Amino acid sequence: MSESKTAGMFSGRESEGLVLVVDDEPDVRKVVRMTLEKAGYDVVEAEDGARGIEEIQKGENSILLNLIITDIRMPNMNGIDVINYYKKEWPSVPIIVLTGFPDLEMATTMLQHGISDYLVKPVESEKLRASVAKALEQREVRGF
Amino acid sequence: MSNRDRTTVVILGAGKGGMAVLELLTLLPGVEIAGIADQDASAPALQYASQLGIPITQDLVSLISLSGINLIVNVTGDSHLDLLIAVHKQPETEVLGGSASKVLWDFVQHASQIQSQLFQTEKLAGMGTFASGIAHDINNPLYILLAFAENVLEETDVPTIHEQARSIIEAGKRIQGICQKITQYARSSKADYIAAVEVNEKIEEALNIARYATTLQDLSIVRRFGEKVEVLVNPGELFQVLVNLMTNAIHAMERRGTLTLSTCYENGVGKISIADTGSGIPIENLEKIFDPFFTTKPPGEGTGLGLYNVKAIIKKYRGELKVESEVGKGTTFIIELPRSLM
Repeated sequence: MSESKTAGMFSGRESEGLVLVVDDEPDVRKVVRMTLEKAGYDVVEAEDGARGIEEIQKGENSILLNLIITDIRMPNMNGIDVINYYKKEWPSVPIIVLTGFPDLEMATTMLQHGISDYLVKPVESEKLRASVAKALEQREVRGF
Repeated sequence: MSNRDRTTVVILGAGKGGMAVLELLTLLPGVEIAGIADQDASAPALQYASQLGIPITQDLVSLISLSGINLIVNVTGDSHLDLLIAVHKQPETEVLGGSASKVLWDFVQHASQIQSQLFQTEKLAGMGTFASGIAHDINNPLYILLAFAENVLEETDVPTIHEQARSIIEAGKRIQGICQKITQYARSSKADYIAAVEVNEKIEEALNIARYATTLQDLSIVRRFGEKVEVLVNPGELFQVLVNLMTNAIHAMERRGTLTLSTCYENGVGKISIADTGSGIPIENLEKIFDPFFTTKPPGEGTGLGLYNVKAIIKKYRGELKVESEVGKGTTFIIELPRSLM
């Protein structure tokens, strides 16, 4: 299930930013949404990379999008392809990988590919929020 | 193979020595074991031999005096038997006993020690790959479980608490399911047990484990299963063979591909074929793939023992392992195992 609402609909309060969460497990998306909404972020969800791209292109999302959190092992387009695509199309949007693979080698490769962080599930809520905050800070420092 | 190339052997003694000699001789293509004897009906090699369809007896004299026997291997360690053998054996039958059988026994023990070390090395190497795949499958539900549990502690909305509690239970059950699969794998490795194994079921079990070895997503599985195909093997060892061949097949398909699994009976032989659409094996490597320590993987990634062990297992159950491959198109491994060992 992908969320069809756009960031423009999140009105009424000051948002910390719009985050796209890509994971094939609905409950994982729900958990990440819950964790980030508590910290004032707005969240859109997608169940795989291809849907993630659709989601970004919807309405004002592509302008408002601040961050992408994605798994790397999913049906259809896998995370690595998706990361390369995001990097090409939205070079200013930081990417955090959130995966069940505790794989140091893959983490190193991904970090070299320019992702902001490589988090392994289960990740503590505080750690996830800290990682998101840091990725957005770095983005601001870089002047995007 | 002409009769002159065949050696017909009987084994006296079915204790540890008899077991080791039996295991060694069943691997040799030119050897036919005409029988094994021990006065103790509960001797371990007697039970193993009867599972393999080899005649067993407690009457040593009847076995010694059989005609058409090339060699009597005496691993009883009982020197009194020498006289009995000399009196009752056929003139053309040779005897391997006394210190000669002691040397053979030492050699067999040494060989089996090396063999089990090789198996162990391969198993440990395989564990690393599985561990990371299994970790992935457990970490997802574990994350859901922990995050919801954390939230439930501070959540005040009762319907939300109920909904998240249900998700917690569901995630717990998923982890339980994964643990069951792993224990099934561990349990099936028990040695010295042969049974008629339903191949299609074993393939599904092995596939559950083999898919842990990959991050490959675009993997299609095609099943062409015959009805109720059974072969006589140790279930754990067949499982190990299938996991190994499927893991190789999946690894050979780098990003996407089709794994075709077929089973059937042909002339009383159970046939399993595992075909991938991967990179294929160059012709110069085809002969070497069953050699110990042959690997094309980078140092530290493959032991080069996988296919060597697979072949040893299949041989042990008097089966055949064949391979067909074309570079750029894929590889098919065909296992043929007897329905019965008689």
